[in-house]
This record gives sequence, structure tokens and C-alpha cells, in this order.
Amino acid sequence: MPNRKHKSDSVSDWAGFIPFLLFCLTFEIIPILFLARGSFLQKGTGQFTLLNYVNLQHPLYIRSFINSIKLSGMTALVGVILGTLIGYAIYRWPSERMREFLITLSDVTTNFAGAPLAFAFVVILGLNGVITQFLAQYLNYELYPDFSIYSFSGLILAYVYFQLPLMVLLILPAFAGIKKEWQESAQSLAANDFQFWWHIGIPVLVPSLIAGFTLLFANAFGAYATAYTLVQAKLSLVTLQIGYMIAGEVRADQGIGMAMAVVSLIIMGLSIGAYQIAASRARRWSKR
Amino acid sequence: MNNTETKKKKEEKNKKRVAGWQIALVGAFLFYMLIPIISTYVFSVATRWDRTILPEGYTFEFYGKATESSYFGITLRNSLILSLTTVLASLIIIVPTVYWVQIRLQRAKPLLEVLMILPFGIPTVVLALALVRIYTVPPFARSPFLLIGAVVVYSMPFMYRPVSNALQAIDSHTLTEAGQSLGANIFRILIEVIIPNIFPGLLSGSLLVFATVFAEFTLTSLIVGARFKTFPLLLVEYTRINGNVAAAFSVISFTIAWIVSMLILWVGTRSKSASTETIQAR
Repeated sequence: MPNRKHKSDSVSDWAGFIPFLLFCLTFEIIPILFLARGSFLQKGTGQFTLLNYVNLQHPLYIRSFINSIKLSGMTALVGVILGTLIGYAIYRWPSERMREFLITLSDVTTNFAGAPLAFAFVVILGLNGVITQFLAQYLNYELYPDFSIYSFSGLILAYVYFQLPLMVLLILPAFAGIKKEWQESAQSLAANDFQFWWHIGIPVLVPSLIAGFTLLFANAFGAYATAYTLVQAKLSLVTLQIGYMIAGEVRADQGIGMAMAVVSLIIMGLSIGAYQIAASRARRWSKR
Repeated sequence: MNNTETKKKKEEKNKKRVAGWQIALVGAFLFYMLIPIISTYVFSVATRWDRTILPEGYTFEFYGKATESSYFGITLRNSLILSLTTVLASLIIIVPTVYWVQIRLQRAKPLLEVLMILPFGIPTVVLALALVRIYTVPPFARSPFLLIGAVVVYSMPFMYRPVSNALQAIDSHTLTEAGQSLGANIFRILIEVIIPNIFPGLLSGSLLVFATVFAEFTLTSLIVGARFKTFPLLLVEYTRINGNVAAAFSVISFTIAWIVSMLILWVGTRSKSASTETIQAR
């Protein structure tokens, strides 16, 4: 580019960016900042206070955070482990058609989160679900009441449904980054499969695994519709609590809702930030 | 020469074999991914399916009931309005900006990227809470207008990535300079030269946004709720009223998602699959 940077030029250059910036400010940035500010204000007087955050120590809210973090952490971990294994099986599958089919399937199903998916799980694992019936009649195993699709254990199954294919899609490029030549050189140096994976394969995969975990964690932490359809008031999650406050279904202090929102923004921000760092590390390998 | 060739062939033959662990893993994966969906399809046409392994009979009556519901047409129409308006608004907001940053304001690229990633760091309930709290004055308070702003923000990354990839794949600088030397202004160049060249990118971004917004539940139910009921809201309502009809609604929703995904794949042509777009959007 020729250097044509006069000051007036620069101003008119930025002018083209203003409409988009205004849009983001109007519908995203200013509302979020306003929300954050509100979480530090006292109801009525409008004075600075930390009371809303202190009030978060109520057992209900603490339980919500614990449940949300547990659910996100567990489904992210299951998603990363199984997704990596399945991803490797797909990566090594000889037929390209089958590989493409499985990738397409992952791509479609990872976006199936929400109400239709939640209901599909009721169809198979509800009180009279297909699999519930099958287990009872053929294996003489009563799923209920130990398990319930409307509980924490049910949510895990439903969440893993959209976590797993997302991990498969994330990890496939990482496998492509492990070059055949490395495996061949390791073999010619008399390394066995275990040694190759332990010293080369897994260290190369680590950034992708961390990226996968953090993205899946954020993906589950922010999810709402699936949980709303399945558990409702039977289990408290952060997103459900915030939702109740907006809908006015609970007569809770608005300040607490805002403090909850700010804390969840921090949790999400940390995991998305960690994801960005890990993903850019991972790209170093897969780009070559 | 001949020797190495036979060796190669042998290796290829070895590679063609699928190992047992692969079949087990992929089989379990297929089971997990497909059984809920297939069961919902079957459930929606089953007369009764709570006492036996296979349904006792088959019927289409629940589709009749689903489409007869007075809300069916309205919610479907509302969902279409919301999705199409969002796609249009998203195109108008994002395409010129990305183009402008590409040709004139490379310095703003990091800022643009951050703004595009930001929605992934905001849970939809938090965005809904923030918008509901700040816009309290009618006609904006809890209006469909506010909802469209929210879903454009929420679906922005899905539009940005394909558009940005498509723009980078063409030589936009040369095209722009050529257009300018012929006396065209920047708007005309964008509409008559750039957009036709990045059309597949626009189409795949539009389809992704359409699919995302058509299935959107959280923002819609929390920002506007019953005043602008969309198809996903009707579905959730029916999961508590009538399971069979809810299944029919779920099938309709799955089918739309499949069709749009196939279209994205078809548009994505040889170079870039939809899955890489989805991943890169994050």
C-alpha cells in the first residue's frame, strides 16, 4: 500500500467504521456496561455499594454457580475426552465419504441445542421413553427413579449431545497437524506407538485440548434453552436464575440479578480468553 | 521401482482396513447422535409408544393437530420474519464494514475481530437482561425491534467469518482500484463488483444466521415473550401440553435445520466446508 496517510484521510477512513461501532455500542457494549454499573448501585439511593455481591452468598445463588460450573466442567471434560477419541477414529477412517458424512453430522448436530433436542431426550429417556421401556422390558432394569432426564444427570446427557460433535470438529484439524513424517521418523528411530504419542503426539495436541475444554465450558455455561425445557425449577443454574429475574417470575432483588450476570460474564470472559490463547497456539501446528 | 510400487499398494491396502476400535467408537457416536432424532421422528407418527418397544400403530394425526393450532401459522410467520429481517440487517451492517476495513482501515482489523468474537463471551440471558434493563421506554422496551438488534449481535460471528474469508480470497484492492479508475464510487463498486464476487460467502453466512435465528429461544422468550411468539416458543409450550404434537413440532424444526445445513454445505462448494466456518466463527 502506498503511504497516503494524511490526517483528513485517516478521519474519513474511520468514518466508514462508525455505523458498525454505533450498532455494537447500542445493542451490546453500552447495555452491558450499564448493567455492570447497576450491579454496584444501591437500590433507591443510587450510591455505590458492594451489597449486591455480598448478597450473592445466599445458598440458592451459591448452589446455582456450583451447579452451573459442575455441569459445564463435567460435560466439557466428557466432551473433550470422548470427542478426541471419536475424532481420531474419524480422522483415521479410510473412506473419505464416511469421513465427510461424520463431519457433516457433527456440524448439524452441534447446532441442535435447545428445545427440540431437549424434547428428543424426553422421548427416549423420559419416564415412558423408548430406551427406558427397552431397559425395563428386556434387561429388567428400571432407570427411574435413580436417573431422571429432568435432573442433573439428565442434563449431562443432553449437554454432551451438543458438546461432543463440537469437540470432534475442533480436534480434527489438530490431528491433521500431526505430520506423517514425524510418525515415520519416530518409527525409524525405533519408537513404539506409546512413545510417539507420549513424547510427540499428545504434547502437540495439548493446546487443542485446552482450547476444546475452554470453548466447551463456555458453551455449556451460557446455555439456557435446553435446561429451561428439561429441568425448570427442579435444578438451579445461573442462566435459569437470571432468566427468572428478567421474566419477573421471582420477586428477587434486581441488583442480585445484575451481580450474577457480571460474575457469569467474568467466568465466560476468562474461558473465552483462555480459548483464544490456546487456539492460536494450536493453529501454529495445524497451519503447516 | 516396481518393488516400491507393490509396497505402496500393500500399505494402501492396509490403510483401507477399519480397525475394531474405530468401528466401536464411531458406532457409539452414531448411536448417540442419531437415536434421539430418529426416535422423535418415529414418535411424531406413533399412535401409542409408551408400553411397547415398537409403536403400536402409525398416524399423521399429530401433524394435523400441529398445523391446525391457530398459533402454528402465526409463530411460523413470526419466525420467518425475525430470521429474514436479521439476515438482511446483518448483511447491511457487516458486509460494508468488513469491506471497508479490508480496503481502507486495516488498522481497525484487530478491533473488528474482537467485536465479532465478543458475543460468544456473553451468555444470551445476560445480553437479554442488559437490553431489557437499559431500554425501558416504549416503543423500544421489550419490542421486536430490540429483539432484532439482540439477535443480530448474537448471530454476528456466523455472518462475519464466511464474509471475511470470501473477501480475503478475492483481490479486493485491485478490483476496487479498477472500479475507481473507471469512475465508480465505492458504493457502486461494493454492489456491482465486490458482492457478486463474494456471493457464496454471503449466502453461506446468511444461511448460518437464518438457521441460528430460526431456532432462537432465549432472547425471544426473555425480551418479547408472548407478544411476538415464534416457533421455538410454541414448541416449548407444547412440550408441557401435548407430547405427540411437540414431537411433530420438533420434527419440523429438525427438518428445517437439516435442509439449511445441506444448503450451506452445497453453497460452501469445494473450497470451504460449513464446519470449518462454524469452528472459525468461534
